[in-house]
Amino acid sequence: MDMTIRYEISDQVISREVGEEAVILDLESGTYFGLATTGARIWQLIGQGKTLEEICDRVADEYEVSRADLSNDLIALAQDLTARGVIRPRSSTA
Amino acid sequence: MAAFLRRPAADQSAMAGAPFHSWPSEDETVWMAFYRIEGGYLLRFPSLADFQICGDDSQVICTPAPDASEADIQHLYLNQVLPLVLSALGRSVFHASAVELCGGAVAFVAATGRGKSTLAAAFTVAGHRLMTDDGLVLDARDGRYEVVPSHPSIRLWEDSLSAVMPSGLEQSPSLSFTSKARLMAGGPIEYGDQPRTLLGAYFLGEAVCDEVLLHRLSEAEALCEWTKHSFLLDVHDRGNLREQFDRVSALAVAVPCFRLDYPRRFAELERVRDAVSETTAALV
Repeated sequence: MDMTIRYEISDQVISREVGEEAVILDLESGTYFGLATTGARIWQLIGQGKTLEEICDRVADEYEVSRADLSNDLIALAQDLTARGVIRPRSSTA
Repeated sequence: MAAFLRRPAADQSAMAGAPFHSWPSEDETVWMAFYRIEGGYLLRFPSLADFQICGDDSQVICTPAPDASEADIQHLYLNQVLPLVLSALGRSVFHASAVELCGGAVAFVAATGRGKSTLAAAFTVAGHRLMTDDGLVLDARDGRYEVVPSHPSIRLWEDSLSAVMPSGLEQSPSLSFTSKARLMAGGPIEYGDQPRTLLGAYFLGEAVCDEVLLHRLSEAEALCEWTKHSFLLDVHDRGNLREQFDRVSALAVAVPCFRLDYPRRFAELERVRDAVSETTAALV
């Protein structure tokens, strides 16, 4: 997967951080789900427009986890969130 | 409070399109169908009644079906329609029962059939006043949440009635669409008619356990649970969804929430009551 991708959060989604977790509500479908700890941090960094590579570096450092494991989990999460329609790749700009 | 008006009984005419949402009965037929109409909504209870909700003040106009009884209409309005109307008016309303406890109140939150009425009844026979059997309305005040007392009645299946309540209780006229017994407050069922601070909320599990289990939910888990058990008139109204999510987010942070699960045996209710009482007392 291209780790230089940046994502944007759908404007049909609202989220709330509660404690160390995040809850995401898709206004389009009315469905909601939660992200715990590292997932919530990844969500925050996606919202800040970081690339997957930047997110991986930052989270691996903050949570002292293996970058290889994190990379796999991050890609899986990005794919899942894309499939749910809550994020999409940002179009590149010149 | 929104006005409630009544039209003469009439057959339910076919609607022009499909409902945008529906609630199923336990036998998986349609219990309530939600339609958008000009100026508002129409809630249809097949063979029972139509309720139109109109205007900014959400006036309710009921057209009963020919065979619907007065008891049917009153129950449908108070227990099904009014909570939805209140939610559209910006109130926080949930599928939950509530009783007074430890100087405040506790709520038992669950979908239909999970035992929230039976559990509330078990508390009432131990001397705790009932505040609501369903349609829990919460008002935010100064960083806490108040349970608003609702209609003073409780509905129980026959086995719960026999197991939990004293014999010989007077029952209200039965409803045509359910065999649940309806008990009005009075006698052993005392009713709390004053708002009480919500001290804790207990979300009932699916009874896949051999003992009473009780653990604290995280704020994110609580937010998901409150959202799941919210009354919402229009599940596609994004503005309303957004506002409700904001209200529920604040609630999930402010009020301690717990998962409560237990074997659904009547003999367990005393232990459940003790566990809830002990947990709630520790919050005060």
